[in-house]
Amino acid sequence: MAVRRKRSPARSKVAREFVSEVDDLLERMRADLADLGDQRVRGELVPDLVNRLFRSAHTLKGVAGMFGFQGIGALSHRLEDILDDLRMGRLDPGACALDLLDEAVAVLAVEVDLVGREAATPEGSEELRNLMQRIESALHGDAAAGCVPEPLAVEASLLRALTEYEEHRLRESLRGGRALYVVEASFDLLAFEEGLAELSESSRALGEIISTLPAPGDTPESQICFSLIVASELDAESFERRLDLPAARVRMVQAGATLATGSAHPPDAADELGKDAAAAGRAAFGEGGEADEEPAAGDGEAAPAGESDASEDTPARPADDLESLKSISETVRVDIRKLDELMNLVGELVIQRGTIGAIAEQLLGEPRVARLARELAKAHKALERKLQELQAGVLEVRMVPMRQVFEKLSRVVRRLRREVGKEVRLEIHGGDTELDKLIVEELADPLMHLVRNAFDHALEPPDERVAAGKPAEGTIRLEAYQRGNHVVIEVSDDGRGIDLEVVRAQAVARGLLAPETLLTPKQTLDLILLPGFSTRDAITETSGRGVGMDVVRENVTALGGLVHVESTPGSGTTICLTLPITLAIIQALVVGVGDQRFAIPLTSVLETLLVDPVEILRSEGRELLNLRGEPLALRRLHVEFGLPAPAENVRQAVVVVGLGDVRAGLLVERLEGQQDAVLKPIQGPVRSVHGIAGATELGDRGTVLVVDVAALVEDAGRRREAA
Amino acid sequence: MTSGNPAAWEDLARAAVGRIGGAAEDETAVELRELLVIWLDEDPYALPIERVREIVRLRPITPVPHVPAAVRGVISLRGEIVQVLDLRCRLDLPVVPAALDRRRHRIVVMSGEDGQLAGVLVDRVSEVLRTPAAATRSPDARESDAVCALVPHGERFVSLFDVDRLLDLGRRTDAGAAS
Repeated sequence: MAVRRKRSPARSKVAREFVSEVDDLLERMRADLADLGDQRVRGELVPDLVNRLFRSAHTLKGVAGMFGFQGIGALSHRLEDILDDLRMGRLDPGACALDLLDEAVAVLAVEVDLVGREAATPEGSEELRNLMQRIESALHGDAAAGCVPEPLAVEASLLRALTEYEEHRLRESLRGGRALYVVEASFDLLAFEEGLAELSESSRALGEIISTLPAPGDTPESQICFSLIVASELDAESFERRLDLPAARVRMVQAGATLATGSAHPPDAADELGKDAAAAGRAAFGEGGEADEEPAAGDGEAAPAGESDASEDTPARPADDLESLKSISETVRVDIRKLDELMNLVGELVIQRGTIGAIAEQLLGEPRVARLARELAKAHKALERKLQELQAGVLEVRMVPMRQVFEKLSRVVRRLRREVGKEVRLEIHGGDTELDKLIVEELADPLMHLVRNAFDHALEPPDERVAAGKPAEGTIRLEAYQRGNHVVIEVSDDGRGIDLEVVRAQAVARGLLAPETLLTPKQTLDLILLPGFSTRDAITETSGRGVGMDVVRENVTALGGLVHVESTPGSGTTICLTLPITLAIIQALVVGVGDQRFAIPLTSVLETLLVDPVEILRSEGRELLNLRGEPLALRRLHVEFGLPAPAENVRQAVVVVGLGDVRAGLLVERLEGQQDAVLKPIQGPVRSVHGIAGATELGDRGTVLVVDVAALVEDAGRRREAA
Repeated sequence: MTSGNPAAWEDLARAAVGRIGGAAEDETAVELRELLVIWLDEDPYALPIERVREIVRLRPITPVPHVPAAVRGVISLRGEIVQVLDLRCRLDLPVVPAALDRRRHRIVVMSGEDGQLAGVLVDRVSEVLRTPAAATRSPDARESDAVCALVPHGERFVSLFDVDRLLDLGRRTDAGAAS
């Protein structure tokens, strides 16, 4: 049970809510931080990323305050300060600042983790307070470096309308030698959002949008006019050409430094426009105080009533707070059970569809209704396609990237590294690989166990590593990738590897293996997966693996997956988990044995063949098939499931199934075709049936049991070892 | 209540199930229990109706390998896959290989201890019996561990099942703990 420790019920609801609330937030911050370091534009930070981080920190601060975690709140606040100084150009965007950000987010993550385990104090850990002090001194130490704004060659009216941040961006752009444009366009009041989005998108492709302001202009009542201030490297001609929106009017207000010609003074009209637009914009969002008071008098005539109404309904340029709220509401948290219900409904629709299909087919044989029957068949085809799309859509919603788990693991490794003081590097690959949310959740514990094992037992102490000619720093590598209809997750280390002799001795000592049994190295390795093999004895620790590999295997098998171990003494171990992408819906191959039918998940089917009884070979008491020169172990499904033997001397079908590296052939009487199936657990007194993964309803074919391919294939493997 | 059109009992039982949960409409002070009377051949048994989720006509039962003989197989009930017990086999009665009759045989679906559903195949369902809770008798010589009481019904007694024990196949061989 070591691995399967579920979230303890003692953990209070508040803590749980808090953690679930901020986990995603922290994850996004980490991703943004990584991008921030990578994606610099000519040494400058990407403003969008800084802003997004700022908003995340702001939200985190709010949530922490709401839940009463002052420590986290205070550190988020400091984080906000750093980010604010960065975006205002008050802080040098060097490696030092980024490290500070990295560290702050890491400490926040640790702190949130502590909350999750109810080990946190409201004011936060020692570490958190130390970091706060360091940030404090970093911010104030650098304050002297903050630049005194130099006069700008931009008309004052435009400047006045901008917020401090926008002004900073404007200065930056001018300093970078970019030209300034005002892009103006009118949209229909009822549908301006799309138009504005299109305009913004096109403009963003050409440069940076410094500000978006609703403009009064001389537009009819049913229209609304916006002006965008855009900084761009392009000269006026190419800017206009590439913007390519007939509705947009472009005016250059400031030529770029790279364009030696052209007036530095914009036409008067643009000046006026900038002023009025800004005033109207501020007034509409209640930010008048920040902007200049001057236009207030003329405001009434300048801004038609219709326009301010529209701006109130749908603020085109929301304040920071509003925007941060919006970015959260773009994603929806959905209970996975609701998705299950949807999936069930889709499954039932699929069954209904099958019934309709059968009727259509029958009718096609009736000459009197041939025309209608053809139309029904056509409609049925269309329905089938749409249903497939619906199914794929619902499935896709359930998919989450492995990164979610990998990042949790990297937090664990970081913590272990700090606590134990062991030099270990964690490499992560394929975090984008997607899996069903339920599977990902169930994988977190086994993977955590594997990583801890590698950290604690597999990786040698530095002196031992150096003596063996390896780098002092050990490496744990996590990799996920898709292979066919499965996802493979590998946890590997470059540690001491598994000592086969010790494993063998242990298995014999525990009575799991007769002393005289001959085993291949692979079979010996697989012994560590046997229940009862590993205990807390020191002996397994020196074998390079800690406790509970059998529990890992149990958890993975419950998900319809396989565990596979590879190890080279002296140079490391790889544990491979092969898993289906989803458990919710399967494409099934329906096979018949006697008068019974079974469904085999198509994800595990490699191919199907027909064989004559004479083609079935025997070797060491087992049945084999020669599959293009390779031996393929055969299992007769009727024997597996204790059904009456079918007639001999008839051609039978073999379904070649494979999981991971193991293959087997299932001998059946008939192949009855493919069908979509919703895999359901079997309810009732008997909790689990060996070799059966569940059941499904297949319309006119009734209730059909779904074969647990992993169990049968594993049996095949085990039997081979026993032989 | 006497047996008439067997299909009518389905509605009757459903109505009875629907009544549970609401306040007892009977204003008498005596606490009444409602029991669903089921039959194996000529022997009446009873199930506490609050555990009965629904009664369905016999439908094709898909056999399942590697399960105790008492589990006849699974049916699908609006998308849920439910095991069906053969009551005769569960009670160690001689199994008569009589042809199953769709018109008469019923599957009574019950909710188990943890909300899991399970069905019991019976020869027929006859009525809902309302009986004072105090009237039940402990069986002296208990035939089966799954029977917890005898309930007087006219001239005869009906064996009342303890549903949790009935559905617990692992405890079959135990000598039935006292209720």
